[in-house]
Amino acid sequence: MANILAFSETRLGELRRAGLETVTAARQVADATGGQVHAVLVGAPGIAQHAARLAAHGADVVLVMEHEAFANYNPEAITATLAARLESGYRAAFFAASAIGHDLVARVAAKMRLAYASDVTEFAFSGDAVAVAHPGYTNKIVQRFVLKATPALISLRAGAVLPVENAKAGAVEALTAAIDPTSVRVKVTLTEKAAGGKIDLGEAPVIVAGGRGLKEAANFKLVEDLAAAFGNAAVGATRAVTDDGWRPHSDQIGQTGRLVSPDLYVACGISGAIQHLAGMRTSKTIVAINKDKEAPIFKVADYGIVGDVMEVLPVLTEAVKAVKAGA
Amino acid sequence: MTASNGLFALIVAVAAGFFASNVQRLVGYLRLGRLDDSRWDNVPRRLYNLATIGIFQRKIFRDGIAGPMHAAIFWGFCVLTVGTSEFIVRGIVPTFTLAHYLPQWAYRFYQNSQDLWGALVIGAVAFALWRRLTHRVKRLQGAETHANDPLLILSWIGLLMVTMFLAESFEMVAFPQHASPYYRPLSYALANVLSFVPQDWAAFFRSLNWWSHGLLVLGFLNYLPYSKHLHVVASLPNVYLSNTSGPGQAGVMKYMDLEAETEQFGAKDVEHLSWKSLLDGFACTECGRCTAVCPANTTGKLLSPRKIIVNVRERLEQRALELQTAGSGRETAEGRPLLDGFISEQELWACTTCRACVQECPVSIDQLSVILEMRRNLVLGESRFPEEVMPAFESMEQRGSPWAFDPGERGKWADGLDIPTMAELAERGETADILYFVGCMGSFDDRAKKTTVAFAKIMKAAGVNFAILGREEKCNGDPARRMGNEYLYQMLARENVDTLAKYHVRTIVTACPHCMHQLGNEYPQFGGHYDVIHHSTFIAHLLAQGRVPLREELHAAVSTFTYHDSCYLGRYNQIYDAPRETLKRALPVVHLVEMPRSGDRGLCCGAGGGRMWMEESEGKRINAERAEEALATGAQAVAVACPFCMTMMRDSISSRDESVPVYDIAEVVAERLG
Amino acid sequence: MKLAVCIKRVPDMEGRFKIASSGTGIDEAGLKFDMSDFDGYAAEVAIQITEKLGAGEVTVISLGPDVVQETLRKALSMGAHRAVQLKHDAPVSDGLAIATALAAELKDGGYDLILCGRMAVDTQNRSTGAFVAELLGLPVITAISQLNVDGGVVKARRELEGAYELIECPLPAVVTIDEGIARARYPSLKGIMAAKKKPLEVKPAQVGAVTYQLEKMELPADRAAGRIIGEGKDAVPELVRLLKEEAKVL
Repeated sequence: MANILAFSETRLGELRRAGLETVTAARQVADATGGQVHAVLVGAPGIAQHAARLAAHGADVVLVMEHEAFANYNPEAITATLAARLESGYRAAFFAASAIGHDLVARVAAKMRLAYASDVTEFAFSGDAVAVAHPGYTNKIVQRFVLKATPALISLRAGAVLPVENAKAGAVEALTAAIDPTSVRVKVTLTEKAAGGKIDLGEAPVIVAGGRGLKEAANFKLVEDLAAAFGNAAVGATRAVTDDGWRPHSDQIGQTGRLVSPDLYVACGISGAIQHLAGMRTSKTIVAINKDKEAPIFKVADYGIVGDVMEVLPVLTEAVKAVKAGA
Repeated sequence: MTASNGLFALIVAVAAGFFASNVQRLVGYLRLGRLDDSRWDNVPRRLYNLATIGIFQRKIFRDGIAGPMHAAIFWGFCVLTVGTSEFIVRGIVPTFTLAHYLPQWAYRFYQNSQDLWGALVIGAVAFALWRRLTHRVKRLQGAETHANDPLLILSWIGLLMVTMFLAESFEMVAFPQHASPYYRPLSYALANVLSFVPQDWAAFFRSLNWWSHGLLVLGFLNYLPYSKHLHVVASLPNVYLSNTSGPGQAGVMKYMDLEAETEQFGAKDVEHLSWKSLLDGFACTECGRCTAVCPANTTGKLLSPRKIIVNVRERLEQRALELQTAGSGRETAEGRPLLDGFISEQELWACTTCRACVQECPVSIDQLSVILEMRRNLVLGESRFPEEVMPAFESMEQRGSPWAFDPGERGKWADGLDIPTMAELAERGETADILYFVGCMGSFDDRAKKTTVAFAKIMKAAGVNFAILGREEKCNGDPARRMGNEYLYQMLARENVDTLAKYHVRTIVTACPHCMHQLGNEYPQFGGHYDVIHHSTFIAHLLAQGRVPLREELHAAVSTFTYHDSCYLGRYNQIYDAPRETLKRALPVVHLVEMPRSGDRGLCCGAGGGRMWMEESEGKRINAERAEEALATGAQAVAVACPFCMTMMRDSISSRDESVPVYDIAEVVAERLG
Repeated sequence: MKLAVCIKRVPDMEGRFKIASSGTGIDEAGLKFDMSDFDGYAAEVAIQITEKLGAGEVTVISLGPDVVQETLRKALSMGAHRAVQLKHDAPVSDGLAIATALAAELKDGGYDLILCGRMAVDTQNRSTGAFVAELLGLPVITAISQLNVDGGVVKARRELEGAYELIECPLPAVVTIDEGIARARYPSLKGIMAAKKKPLEVKPAQVGAVTYQLEKMELPADRAAGRIIGEGKDAVPELVRLLKEEAKVL
């Protein structure tokens, strides 16, 4: 049977969790259809050190492409190389539905003149077709497609497949760049972590926001601590709070501030005035912590805790830290 | 006739000619404005305004100190003008005197009036100077004011009076046969004091003061067109020409023809304003009463309604020259337009359209229409507005509500309350007597929904046959119109008018003063004519008829209430008593305490004019100011009659004193339903 | 400088959607439509470039039935110079098929820069920009949050999860626009009037073969009505469990 390719994303020499998810997904398909999993690892010299972890998650072969020109993401060279490799006969290739993954899968598909499935939450292979589900209409609708292209190129939404250990040989093979990685048109000149954990509200997958229930500006520390524990969270505030000068106006979420829709929104001491709800209602999961159980925020929240934010937040922060440390 | 008479005649002729040419010049300036032919109708009403606001100084007296002072000077001027006229004619024809034409008693009365009012004017002018020089009266300050002009004018008026008295007195000294205590008693007394002056010297001083007085009068007349005191000439015409529309109609924004072939929507410069707005510039004497009551200005924002009007005149005088010299080969350098050159965007967006400035102006200037016309230019012409407003505009367009909520959920508050929609009734071949137009806040805001439900319950308890529109209802468009987006407003207004026509709606009730104002007062521009009743009036009416079954026992938790007036209910529609009446009927044992600023002086909550959808980061928050005023009354609860007031008051009160609740009047009544 | 912007007409995302009886589309009754958000940003960026240069031309292109003309007019009212409708009445779900039609129109246009939204907010496929670029043989930078075009070089920034990168490529090129660069302007009435007189061409679309077919649309399981999971700090372990296992956001 044909093999399955998994692109394992790295950044600044580190393997990303999404890189394990693609390998796990490929493993699931390979186990069902009987092919091998070929994980691709690209980066500056030394990136091969991560091959063992890919093997532990089910890679039969780890294809390593090391070069200084891969220290940053090098879309054209990687695209050319993967397209050439995939032409040799794979059933499918998995990418992460990340900024880089979205970019790469589209390029590879374009190069190979194939349609592809983006941001997939479910997939099922049968014969020459793959049935996939991917959310649309700002996640209000599940779209089910059939992809009849070989190889089936798929970008996988974070969390759709959780990394599972399933050790395989993971033989390391060198992958040669199909074009000179130093003479490409599109060049990434710098990759840098966002400064001081300051993630833009519009980009952050998690937002922790505070309202008047925090009683005073100094207590925003609790909100910041929880955001820091998530690692990928931004801090937001209600209009009442920014009006009182507890937080800068740029932090305001609501009709007159930022309109956001993160994966997780934690509302701390926020009652849920119309102005605020208009800015965050479309968040995928909403958690509310408020001492007034009649507060309108509980009507939009998926999970509510009735209680004093000052008491609940520190405990929640510790619990989140524990989960993150475990992952 | 002597040579001196001839000289005086010549001077009078030159002065009159010069003044006439200036008047002609200024009338020419007014012609640069846009056509407004709504100013010539309703003559009795205009004469009434002229008499009450103009002659009897009704609005001037709203200030207890400056009021009498100004009235003394103004009435003095009216009285003394008769004397001045006689004076001028006599200067040319020495034999002329009113004594020839009046019975003796009348002439004596006239002579006495000159002396007495002259003295009153001196007293008032002295007081005014003293007040200006020793007290920094807040409303008289401001970068836009011409601070030295009033000192000059007051001194000038004072000198006019002094020279008048001295000329009269020295005449009595020089010609004792003219002296009589029964005609000019004060001048006579002064003559007695001056009797030590030799007669020939007295004759000289009489001439000196006579000439001084004459020249000061003519100089004053010709100084006016160059001073803010053009006010003396322009105020009475301005009062006569002011908007005469009655309650509700006075605050209506002018219809705009969006299909008109024009490049200019709204006002960017003075020539885009109506000529009446330009006349406002001439009528303003910078008294600052408008700015002193402006909620934006008094909480530290840049906006000053007085500055808007002062700027209109300044720019008009500049722009008129530009336009007049254009193409003549000696063009005046182009100045910057009214917008940006004189008035910034920031000022215009700070306005809550509360109408306090218009209400307060003693000479019926309409500051608001300048601001709103300029907002129209900003939005329609230049697409310039605070960026946070964009979601509100987009949402009104996409979803028929300034809040980004699903229009399908508009009628959701009524779930389980057995309230039909017009569409449901129509399907069953039925109809309702009354349409309840709920409004966006009442439909989507959780706090306002409680008011909505309370009002609905009252109507049901009273057996009112009513229905709602449900998802067919759209925002009335008021936020869009007040923010200058006439295009969006007309779209919404027309859609609502069509929907209402479909169900043959005649009578509408609403708990939102903005909905009420739009549907009742502005929709006639689109052929929608309805009887629109605010819930305060409607509930008061139901209570008066005994149709609302109230429980006997009264909840005594709250014993004092203060009521916060909504601008669109109060100053726009003159509904001040109905909400208070409702509260009193619902809670006969409750004491109603008034805030210092209430009724037609009520302070805005800060949400009107689209401010609800804008940031307020400049100065103090208006609702904070109002909350403090409400709490200072010591009332145990605050009552409102507008969902926007509710949000603003509740936000600011709850952060100061959580124990003081804010209720809508409907909730207070519903609480006692049997 | 010649710029092209590919835009898509999409329904307003605030409403509650109903699936049409066909099962492969939404029930459009009562829905309002507008330009997809990211395409609006792209149009704004292109218009700003020509405004800054005081020269250049922005062409907006949309594929679909005649109703897309409304969306094209909106772009014109924002300040785009001309519009092209690639007329195609049936919905197309295959990004490659759509890109084929767009590329055919763009090929001989002599465009220096082609802009697309990062994705259409309805189908969320994210494929158009990359496909168009590849079909035209042009370099592409996707999902950018900053853009600077100077001396024949595009410099851009892309937001990554918790990081960012800076990217360059030569012109002509294709870029796809993320949020953060510019919000689409609100058309002035003047702009709306002017748009009525701007050229809008209608051409048949040369849609490619379809290998990615939408079979079915479903509404996700109803979001459980808000539930209160407990009081005070004792509720925290349960919250963390739910976030991990049910919501899968931790």
